[in-house]
Amino acid sequence: MSDQTHMPAGHDLAPGDEEQHSVGARILGYVVGLALALLLTATSFFIAGTDLVWQPSIPVALIVLAIAQMGVHLVFFLHITTGPDNTNNVLALAFGLLVVFLVVGGTVWIMAHLNANMPPMDQIMPMRR
Amino acid sequence: MPAVRTVEAMMLGKLDWSAIPFDQPIPLIAGAVVLVGILGVLIWVVVKGHLPYLWHEWITSVDHKRIGVMYILLASVMLLRGGSDAIMMRIQQAVAFQSQGYLPPEHYNQIFSAHGTIMIFFVAMPFVIGLMNLIVPLQLGVRDVAFPTLNSVGFWLTATGALLVNLSLVIGEFARTGWLAFPPLSELSYSPGVGVDYYAWSLQISGIGTLVAGINLVTTVLKLRTKGMNYLRMPMFCWTTLASNLLIVAAFPILTATLAMLLLDRYLGFHFFTNEAGGNVMMFMNLIWAWGHPEVYILVLPAFGIFSEVVSTFSGKALFGYRSMVLATMAICVISFMVWLHHFFTMGAGPDVNAIFGIASMIIAIPTGVKIYNWLFTMYGGRIRFETPMLWSIGFMVTFIIGGLTGVLVAVPPADFMLHNSMFLVAHFHNVIIGGVLFGAFAGFEYWFPKAFGFRLDDRWGKLAFWFTFLGFYVTFVPLYVVGMLGMTRRMQHYDVAAWRPWMLVAAAGMAVLTIGVICQIMQLVVSIRNREALRDRTGDPWDGRSLEWATSSPPPVFNFAFNPDVRGEDAYWDMKARAQQQSLEHGGPEYQDIEMPRNSPTGFVCAFFATIMGFALIWHIWWMVILGGIGAFATFVVFAWRDHDEYVIPAEEVAAIDRVNLEERRSLVSMAGAV
Repeated sequence: MSDQTHMPAGHDLAPGDEEQHSVGARILGYVVGLALALLLTATSFFIAGTDLVWQPSIPVALIVLAIAQMGVHLVFFLHITTGPDNTNNVLALAFGLLVVFLVVGGTVWIMAHLNANMPPMDQIMPMRR
Repeated sequence: MPAVRTVEAMMLGKLDWSAIPFDQPIPLIAGAVVLVGILGVLIWVVVKGHLPYLWHEWITSVDHKRIGVMYILLASVMLLRGGSDAIMMRIQQAVAFQSQGYLPPEHYNQIFSAHGTIMIFFVAMPFVIGLMNLIVPLQLGVRDVAFPTLNSVGFWLTATGALLVNLSLVIGEFARTGWLAFPPLSELSYSPGVGVDYYAWSLQISGIGTLVAGINLVTTVLKLRTKGMNYLRMPMFCWTTLASNLLIVAAFPILTATLAMLLLDRYLGFHFFTNEAGGNVMMFMNLIWAWGHPEVYILVLPAFGIFSEVVSTFSGKALFGYRSMVLATMAICVISFMVWLHHFFTMGAGPDVNAIFGIASMIIAIPTGVKIYNWLFTMYGGRIRFETPMLWSIGFMVTFIIGGLTGVLVAVPPADFMLHNSMFLVAHFHNVIIGGVLFGAFAGFEYWFPKAFGFRLDDRWGKLAFWFTFLGFYVTFVPLYVVGMLGMTRRMQHYDVAAWRPWMLVAAAGMAVLTIGVICQIMQLVVSIRNREALRDRTGDPWDGRSLEWATSSPPPVFNFAFNPDVRGEDAYWDMKARAQQQSLEHGGPEYQDIEMPRNSPTGFVCAFFATIMGFALIWHIWWMVILGGIGAFATFVVFAWRDHDEYVIPAEEVAAIDRVNLEERRSLVSMAGAV
């Protein structure tokens, strides 16, 4: 947003609209991404069925692996970086995350609260504060 | 015989002659009249030989200005359809006191459902998207939107949705469920007909169109701005466009997903929202309003932008508190995602949830209040010209404040428990949507019409239209507040309470006044087109405007600007005029260059053609036709993706010839001003 910004030829890049790297470097990036994604997927399937770890930790592990998977996709396939050419993409991601957090979090909270005001009247009266 | 039946079912699905409502004269006659009208126009177009012009210059056009005009045309036609529904409802409630009135319940229910659906999705949305399309690239000083062909696809898919909704008038029926099709009423067990399918599929198809338009406009504002047009120099309308389209991109997928789940329930026996088998009806309310509340701001934010432009132009002053306006816009953009529960306070949530969402709903009134004060301070000390767009803006401020106050009132959960689903609520949301969105759309229409067509609209008819609409609005909707307080619920086909009757009669009279307003608006258009030579604007700047759209001719050339303007501050064009940069440019004898523009493409129209087939087939369960439509749409996409020539070049000489005419007009204007 600085006053020096001169459009229109585009200061920062759209997703997929990368800077001019050599083909080799780009292929390497995708291969590393694919390997990491496969590794995380395989680990998830393994963890889900194993009895080698403490059972209640499995859901937590799956959530962590899922978030890591999203990170791999964002970095290697969607090319989200912290560079100055990526401000729009990072802001868009942040806005998206905020909305997802609000809608999903709000929904969980609301749906858990659904019956708070719905019991028969003789039960609801003593609950009044 | 059974074999014949099976073949018929395979070929025609649920469709047979009983789908045509031969026993109901009102929709049949209305449908026949519209059909004759459309056929008449088509025959006239073909006989007069306008078809090639229409095809090459409009239907296949990827020019953002043409697409914007088509959006607005679609919205205006649909406004007449939705308005007719409104007139029928007001008459029904005026006569249905201790009687059945003239509309049977199943027909009345279709009418209020269609009225809401059409007014929101096919009037308000296309109107604001049309204005954004038309003006935002001009205000940013660029040649087109980011994805011109996608823009055309978006428009034609919206038109497909509108077509399907109107088709339901003569083939089959429309939903009887209200404009949001709440389950379990909208589930197969309670709505076995095709009405809800018409509703859902037309919204799914037009929803894709809206999403595409949203992505396009966000990208345009973020990535395509002329030299020096940094974020804090953009006109207010561009900011509200950005906020509104960010909301479209974030919220419309929720609507699509929710309707997809409802369709899965209806088509494949899923149980997302059914009463039995683990479905949860309340989840539908939750999800649909998580889209529905941002939707309110998607509609009203662009209107706020229009008012900002209009108030500043007609007060002859820069917008007061520009940065606070930007901040308020973006605050609304975020907070609008934190208030959706206030649409269902009565659903059963406890005091914690209701209190938080109630407070959030009151908080969102604060940035809106900031905006109102900014407009008032912009007018303060200004030299105000009471042209028609300014009248709509002042009418908006008065009306919207009343609507906003009743909004804060229903944001209080205990008050909402009394007013939920009453006519008071109906009056409230018409107060903000008509007073905010519709007045904004009309203000933008009057303000930018000369830019789009090169002549002004007739002043006298415009002012008459404003006064009749303004007064008609109050006469219609203040009585609805009153009957709401008297306990009348919404969507009543008939009633027996004598105390409501006089108010319903007043509301019907108000509807008549509103109708006169609409007639004045049509007269204005007719009279203006007749007198277009007298109303011609040759300067490109009829209102003494402040932003870049006024820097080019009216109507603008296909490339908008011969040169990308160089912006050095807010109110870019005002600044240029003040520094008389135009003249120095003229004397310098500019070096014109070739301009590349995107080629027109029938992709949008063909895509929508197949989408229409597919939508119709899905509604009637004609599966072979669904596949046909799907293959057609996909093939269109493939053909488009493999095209060879996507741009054409306008040679420098042609650019020069077009631009010189514009400069000549402006120079004569300047020398005239100099002579005085």
